[in-house]
Amino acid sequence: MKTYMNIKLQKWCVVGVLSTLVLASSCKKSFLDVDPQGQQAAQQFWKTQDDATKAVNAIYGNLRTWENLAFPAIAIESTGSDEADKGSTPVDATFFNLYDTFTVTSTEGSLQSFWTGQYRNINLCNQVLDNVPSISMDESLKSRYLAEAKFVRAYSYFRLVRAYGGVPLRLKVPADASEYNIPRADKAAVYAQIEKDLNEAAAALPASYGASDLGRATKGAALGMHAKVAMYQQKWSDVLSLTNQVISMGYSLFPDFEKGFRTQNENNVESLFEVQCEYYPTNLDASNSQYSQVQGVAGEPAGGWGFNTPSQALIDGFETGDPRRDATILFPGETTPQGDFIKTNIVNIGYNQKSYVPFSMFIAGNQGSQQNFRALRFADVLLMNAEAANELGNPSLALTSLNKVRARARGTLSGILPDVVTTDKALLRSAIYNERKVELALENDRYFDVIRQGRGVEVFGVKGWKANKNEVWPIPQTEIELSGGLLTQNPGY
Amino acid sequence: MKRIFTRISVLAAFCLLTINVAFAQNITIKGKVTDGGDKTSLPGVTIVIKGAQGGTQTDADGNYSISAPADATLVFNFVGYTAQEQVVANRTTINVALASSTQQLEQVVVVGYGTQRKIDVTGSVASVKGEDISKQPSTNPISGLQGKVAGVSISNNATPGSSPQITIRGTGTIYGNTGPLYVVDGVWYDDITFLNPADIASINILKDASSQSIYGIRAANGVVLVTTVKGKTGNATINYNGTVGVQSVTNAVEMTNASEYATVVNEAYAINGSSPLFTNTNLGEGTDWYDQALRNAIITNHQLSINGATEKSSYNFSLGYVDQDGIIKTNNYKRYTARLSNDFQVKKDLKIGYNVTGSSSISKNAPASIYRALYTAAPVLSVFNADGSYGDPTKVPVGNGTVDLGNGSNVNPQATLDFNNSRTSKYRITGNVYAELKFAKHFTFKTSAGGDFGQEENTNYTPKYKATTAQNANISTLSIGRVETRNWILENTLTYDNKWNDHSLTVLAGQTAQRYKSYTTTGTAQNVPYQSEGDLYLRLGNADGRKIEDSGSLNTATSYFGRVNYGFKNKYLLNASLRADAASQFFGGSDLWGYFPSVGAGWVITNEDFMKDQKIFSNLKLRGSWGKVGNAGVPINPTTLTVDQSAGLIAFYNGIANTGASVTSIVPSALFWERSAGTDIGLEMGFFNNKLSIEADYYSKKTEQAIFNIPILGSLGTSNSLLLGNQADFRNRGFELSATWSDKTDGGLTYSISGNIGINNNKVLNVTSGSNPIDAGGNGLNNAVVPTRTVVGQPIGSFFGYEVTGIIQTAQEAATSGLSGAKPGDFKYADLNGDGTIDQRDKTFLGNPNPKYTYGVNTNFAYKNFDLTLDIQGVADVDVYNANLGNRLGNENYTKEFYDNRWTGAGSTNTYPSANLAGGNNNQTNSFYVESGAYIRLRNIQLGYNLPQKLTSKWKIQKLRVFANAQNAVNLFGYRGFTPEVGGVPTSAGIDLNVYPMFATYNIGVNLTF
Repeated sequence: MKTYMNIKLQKWCVVGVLSTLVLASSCKKSFLDVDPQGQQAAQQFWKTQDDATKAVNAIYGNLRTWENLAFPAIAIESTGSDEADKGSTPVDATFFNLYDTFTVTSTEGSLQSFWTGQYRNINLCNQVLDNVPSISMDESLKSRYLAEAKFVRAYSYFRLVRAYGGVPLRLKVPADASEYNIPRADKAAVYAQIEKDLNEAAAALPASYGASDLGRATKGAALGMHAKVAMYQQKWSDVLSLTNQVISMGYSLFPDFEKGFRTQNENNVESLFEVQCEYYPTNLDASNSQYSQVQGVAGEPAGGWGFNTPSQALIDGFETGDPRRDATILFPGETTPQGDFIKTNIVNIGYNQKSYVPFSMFIAGNQGSQQNFRALRFADVLLMNAEAANELGNPSLALTSLNKVRARARGTLSGILPDVVTTDKALLRSAIYNERKVELALENDRYFDVIRQGRGVEVFGVKGWKANKNEVWPIPQTEIELSGGLLTQNPGY
Repeated sequence: MKRIFTRISVLAAFCLLTINVAFAQNITIKGKVTDGGDKTSLPGVTIVIKGAQGGTQTDADGNYSISAPADATLVFNFVGYTAQEQVVANRTTINVALASSTQQLEQVVVVGYGTQRKIDVTGSVASVKGEDISKQPSTNPISGLQGKVAGVSISNNATPGSSPQITIRGTGTIYGNTGPLYVVDGVWYDDITFLNPADIASINILKDASSQSIYGIRAANGVVLVTTVKGKTGNATINYNGTVGVQSVTNAVEMTNASEYATVVNEAYAINGSSPLFTNTNLGEGTDWYDQALRNAIITNHQLSINGATEKSSYNFSLGYVDQDGIIKTNNYKRYTARLSNDFQVKKDLKIGYNVTGSSSISKNAPASIYRALYTAAPVLSVFNADGSYGDPTKVPVGNGTVDLGNGSNVNPQATLDFNNSRTSKYRITGNVYAELKFAKHFTFKTSAGGDFGQEENTNYTPKYKATTAQNANISTLSIGRVETRNWILENTLTYDNKWNDHSLTVLAGQTAQRYKSYTTTGTAQNVPYQSEGDLYLRLGNADGRKIEDSGSLNTATSYFGRVNYGFKNKYLLNASLRADAASQFFGGSDLWGYFPSVGAGWVITNEDFMKDQKIFSNLKLRGSWGKVGNAGVPINPTTLTVDQSAGLIAFYNGIANTGASVTSIVPSALFWERSAGTDIGLEMGFFNNKLSIEADYYSKKTEQAIFNIPILGSLGTSNSLLLGNQADFRNRGFELSATWSDKTDGGLTYSISGNIGINNNKVLNVTSGSNPIDAGGNGLNNAVVPTRTVVGQPIGSFFGYEVTGIIQTAQEAATSGLSGAKPGDFKYADLNGDGTIDQRDKTFLGNPNPKYTYGVNTNFAYKNFDLTLDIQGVADVDVYNANLGNRLGNENYTKEFYDNRWTGAGSTNTYPSANLAGGNNNQTNSFYVESGAYIRLRNIQLGYNLPQKLTSKWKIQKLRVFANAQNAVNLFGYRGFTPEVGGVPTSAGIDLNVYPMFATYNIGVNLTF
């Protein structure tokens, strides 16, 4: 009996072993073949029109990032100027001072953040430009999508070339590791590519969109951006013709300068391109713009961190009675048109009002995430038009465009901001420069504007700006190291 | 009593128990108990009748007398000796020689998929008895291992309920799970916080690659084998252990008071060209935020176990309860554990059984970053204003007006505590069922199915409130996160075991399949009311903004393994094994299967004929081994490019959200198994009848093709600028020594003293990015300060920064310092490349966060009814980055030590900077912030007293011991923070930011056995 039992058990055991082995081997393939969990494989993407739509949405969404709108952008595009100070408390984020005093070296973190931030935009554009053409979809929509991608790519390269000079020119997604490391293209080649992209974008983009697409890049945005790019290269006749095209498209100046910057007047008649930002309760991670927060009133729940504050030079730079002074700067002790009292014990002389979101709109920790960044507006186009006309010897056109800007600022008030009348080229140029300074103050335009005017030493020299060095910032050191030395440093750094 | 236990057993209803009750005539037995080695008499030996109450002890001469049934079994027990059983069998004189525990050449250790005599092991396996762990006043069993095993470095995380970090012979892997594999009764785990330390019979740590390699796929960081308590032969034994204690902060860091703070802040303002923040600096003491938020916290611990066995079955049932207050007010952790195991010998050759553990814990969490908040909070800030409102950092009343302290010191920690409502509940049921069949004399087949089912729930509620400018919410938010894990493991092993003539042979073959799945959902809603806990439902919140997100992971693996152990004349030992693993992570690639071989050999020299007559060595064994282990801890489908659909890609047109998705990453074209190959050479020695035993090991383990992220060009535009891959080779090499002396004196003192030391050197041998570093450790530090660097020739995650050569004393020195914007009082950095400018190129290696030396001294003393345990433990030659000091945004508080030593003008000091600690280049990674992390501490001291048997037997108690202990009572270190025990993941280890203050625990307790 015992033996029998043992044999029986042995049989049972052998069957057990065999069945487990068979089970394990027969279903080995399916057992180990596990799909990505909760993540779509890229192979399944780029198949439908919907995929193309999402990929283009991603380009716009990404423009809200910290690198595009907050500290890195402020450090690179604003702090060096004479219009802005670091802000906040003296010991807070003191790295800004390195930009303010032109003592920054290649290892400073914002150099890398801004660089990478722009290339993230560019990657998203390249993804669309590489993959959407092969998708079977509405052809006219496809060509518009490609044009939108080209616009943002050009915008991003423009920000790069202003900041660093020639940069690696990536026009497609790298196919493999051999395409990862590429050298800097020269500045002219980068500008040429930007203009090519903007030409192609302008040709395919619509002049306007229906309500459900409001905020996408338009033909006017592409032309206006192109004008600015041309202006940075002193291609005055291009600037003139491009701005004339924009002027003929029906843009106008928003009547109330101050109100034009409030959220309810976003994407108004003056707007060529804005980075669209929202407070989005359904997904707070999409309420990620810190553009307004980092510049908001410090020590105020609905305010912010108090950086990029107006300088005394900016405050003094406005003509007497210019309403834009009060519309650009939140002064301590003032009450805003929206009824917010700016407290008096603030640590700074004032804050940027163009990024200001009224305190009543503050919701649980989201300081000003609703505020769009005005990337390009019609006033800028008019001033570019004026400058090009003046440079090309057409002062009357220059005066017409310039005085439109002044007239809007003047509004219904009298005795202030009289029309400029001089036809002297140098004096008129100076007047246009000055108008740009006050009209576009604290919109991250001033710093590179002065440099392209060739007045770096004249305006920023007292702060330490040096010719033949500070026209551009250094290439980020980490990037040079990761390139194994393929990338070269800018002179003087 | 017996009937009650029977009833309990029946009520337990899981087991078929038969309680054998002996009815026999009592006789009186006398005898003497002696030491098996030196034959001296042993006083104080406990003698009990197995399965009955009562017992006696030997007198001063080792004699005893006991009345027991003629067929009873006597059990002789003594600390430091192996228990011995004697069947009375009508004898009236029974003399017993007890073997000292260390004399146990027959000592058995647990190895992968089996057990071996310690003498037969060819690798390095450390064994720690359960009682040595449960004696430690730690709620986590791993924490109790600290200082006990050479080469095992443990870094405690003092947050109640958290797991300590354990590193076996240096950092084994960088990416993914960097902890060891835990195997509890055959089931695999990543951590064992769910285990009650009292349920552990032994912990065996596989330290060398050859011992580990049988666990191939998951062995790269070592393997910890946990065996739980089983029922022992005899009638039910009931054990109760209870402790109550208090935890108290030690080695606190003193911060400045209000006057000092105002003074130093004004100095910082002046240095930055601003007018003083405080017009009057005479502000008195102000608020001591640590006093305000910390407390002496109570901890209680109750454990009850019942175990026993009959001929056909054994059982063990235990309950555990821990209630631990955190030292931060409002923080509390409770853990309940229940464990049941049963074995049934259902047929002569067939045994079946199961282990099951149920565990639940509830934690009222301390607010995230509260410790950093306490460190930074300004002493000039009142907890409450006179009107009862919270002191607001933006409106600190000073003189006639108020000041705004600005960023960095903008929260009132009391408000943070008061409005924090965060709870974590964990529920887990885990265990295995198994069957073991012996057949054909030498074969054993075992099959086991294990499961681990867990659920974790995190609830976080922020009410609508307004405390201060920075601490408020104009709408309430509820978030509920839930993590579910469903894991299983199947194992089949077949063992052949035979001894003939001079040969012994064990052959093992096995197969396993495993599946690990986790699923996480997180829901949030706003405007949820809160009258009671019953209101905490997402559905009560606003429909607008209610959101649910989920994510998950799934891994599978299938494996085959085999091992041969051969011994000849107990002198020559050979061991070889091979494991083959296929992991889903590598499916579809060219490297699906990983193969992990090992070989080992041992020579027991004392068993040679020529050693017969020598008297020096009682044991001498030389062993050597080599093995390979793997790491599959990579994300699933690492080479599959996926679509990024994060919220940041949502586009808004006219204010309406539109889903965005695109590709924002780069994946490696191929990924291979990470493999490590290690060699171990060991020498085991026993002297003076094994009173002294010494074990020494040399090891070298090389991790090849280590998987981790390396930084890639920012111009590639990927979302994280990292690329995963097989990026580096590195090596851990070291030496371990442990020695134990156990003896007893003529006066009746039994004692053992053991010491261990591990020396480990970690070095990166090769990185695919060449000379380009792998930066990490920037998390949480401002200005993108990255204090660590992993680069060829240095240890993983070395601190990297500027070498401080002094303090700039004058404006003239500042001008020539090479630092842009330098001011007097700033750090002076070494210009290592001599180009006259200080920048990244002047950075150098400043320290190593991987401890080079870990050591422990563990002692046990027993004299009559008293016992004393004293454990000392420490680490040396290790560095900590004191990021708390320099990680500043503005007007954070300063330490008193900094205040007293700061630079205040030319010539004041050449070591401490000015108040402008965060300004300019001062907050860059530099040698000022790198400090020695060496420490030595009295880890545990415990004094116990066994109540005399005469007394306890009256109360029908077998054993009653009372004790008092203290953990971390004395800590010696030079570090300027709370504790140098910082931990952290390999590439950013040793960075001290927001560390839980260290505390000492003082307990009193009782052990009760019926």
